[in-house]
Amino acid sequence: MSVSAASGSTPPTTRERIADAGTFTVPYLLVIPGLVFVLGVLGYAVAGGFWLSLHETDMFLMKTYVGLENYIKVFNDPRFQASLWRTIVFVIASIALGITMSLMFALTLYHVGFGKRLFRGMSLLPYFVSGIAAAVMFRFVFTTSGGFVNQVLGLLGLHQPSWLGDPVLAFIVAVLANCWFMVPFATLILLGGLQTVDKDIYDAATIDGAGPIQTFFKITVPMIKPMLGVSLIWVSYISFSTFDIILALTAGGPQRATEVVSMYMYQLAFLQLDFGQGAVLMVVLLTFNTVLSLVYIYYFILADRRHGREP
Amino acid sequence: MATLASRREISAIGQPPSLLDELLRRFGRVILIGIPLAFLVIWTMVPIVWALLASLKDPLEIYESTTFLPRDPSLRAYWIVLGMDGFGKWLFNSILVTLVATIVPLILSILAAYAFAKYLFPFRHVLLLMYLIPRIIPRVSLIVPLNDLMTDLGLINTYWVLYITYIASAVPLATWILVGFFKAVPKEIEESATIDGANMWNRLRYVILPIAWPGVVTAAVLCIREGWNEFAFVLALVTETGMRTLPYALYMLRDSMGVQDYAVYNAFTILTVLPLLVVYLLLERRVVESIVSGAVK
Repeated sequence: MSVSAASGSTPPTTRERIADAGTFTVPYLLVIPGLVFVLGVLGYAVAGGFWLSLHETDMFLMKTYVGLENYIKVFNDPRFQASLWRTIVFVIASIALGITMSLMFALTLYHVGFGKRLFRGMSLLPYFVSGIAAAVMFRFVFTTSGGFVNQVLGLLGLHQPSWLGDPVLAFIVAVLANCWFMVPFATLILLGGLQTVDKDIYDAATIDGAGPIQTFFKITVPMIKPMLGVSLIWVSYISFSTFDIILALTAGGPQRATEVVSMYMYQLAFLQLDFGQGAVLMVVLLTFNTVLSLVYIYYFILADRRHGREP
Repeated sequence: MATLASRREISAIGQPPSLLDELLRRFGRVILIGIPLAFLVIWTMVPIVWALLASLKDPLEIYESTTFLPRDPSLRAYWIVLGMDGFGKWLFNSILVTLVATIVPLILSILAAYAFAKYLFPFRHVLLLMYLIPRIIPRVSLIVPLNDLMTDLGLINTYWVLYITYIASAVPLATWILVGFFKAVPKEIEESATIDGANMWNRLRYVILPIAWPGVVTAAVLCIREGWNEFAFVLALVTETGMRTLPYALYMLRDSMGVQDYAVYNAFTILTVLPLLVVYLLLERRVVESIVSGAVK
């Protein structure tokens, strides 16, 4: 399954892996304990979410079957429609910015001549900062009076906007905070991709007169396509389900400018206590995320395998 | 090495490079690498360093618009956080839950990954899929039904609810990482151990785990990360102040502080982040290598 981990040694064929097939039940006994947790909690939650989305919960937590009523309510709800579009814009902006930055950082880390380990190790730091902490940090970087960005703008004699008070600017800051959190992992995945590209290919391209930009798009990008797929999955997964960063950064405001689907879901289920409609939003999140991941897996990882990467 | 040599040959094909050309080329390279590198460093470090600086400032100084560095750095804010009612409990909760959510998933995943990597058994693809699909399910999307379920089970505000949900979300990740590492262990080594009479437990313990140790370390660090930083579950499943973990406590800090002492806020942020960053920096090499080699995804 893992593309590059297996490529070092010859991958064991299926037949070769019959180590001790005599004990028939052993693998099941090994697999089941973990599966109990995974299916018991996550599987139940998914199934339970679908079930909840077809029911109405009243004040006493009694549930009545209402068919697709919650879906109809939610899809006709202008606030939901707005949050869905906002999420789509948020995801597209995050993917565009996030992948560009990850590629740039990966190329930088690949070419940097000194302190390689130091820069790599440092670049991953935000990956270990919790979403809440990242959001709090970004709030202070973008505070109107005394924030880092406005201090710099002040030194340059530029206008110092109220970043988190303006709907558009707050949305941009949310995208930036989201990128800060998710870019490091994508960067290292792409760096791994760059390292697998045979250097001789670049030399051959240089001899053939290819410029750096041509080399990048004609050689580097196709060669690291599987890793691009993996980082795309990661980046869109994080962006679609972004929650803690926005909750602690803007709580959906100002004027709902950053209220994405996950925020509205939290609002519906936990503050308005409408579990049915909240569950519909869960189904929406889940569907979008799964479809997108499957598309990426097909185009970037599976398609690539079929076309001759593996014999 | 080979690249350098061939690059030189290439430039030799045209005309001998003059000193000026060479200087320009070097200078261009410094700019091309230097600027993005500087950007990378600033982009990565500014939020963390800014929080660190703010935590050392005087509370009023944070509002001022011309002070990058604290005028009179003090640890006052840290003492306030450490003396805060509940901080010790939140820290304890975080540590306890993270430990359980690391050790249990590791054990479960080592077993499962061993089966997936080394055995051929019917339905293994389906079973592996059941392990892996949860990786593309956003955790926040599960909080509504989980809250419903755990309320029914009467588990809200218990450690159990955190253990169960944290373990469930860590198992798929750890299994995914370990399957790759276990598969990479040469079959021959295991076979010779079998011939020497080692049973499955001994092979796992003395052959597979030592060879795949970097994978175990990586999986452990990532489980610790998930547990330490988890927020959606604790937000949805815990309401009591005493049951909060550090990220949740940090989130609630905004509401619970009467005085807007932003130095304390920043000190709290640094203290929640610091333990995990220390764990990461201690094991940084393994983790970075595992991700770069494509073993974590």
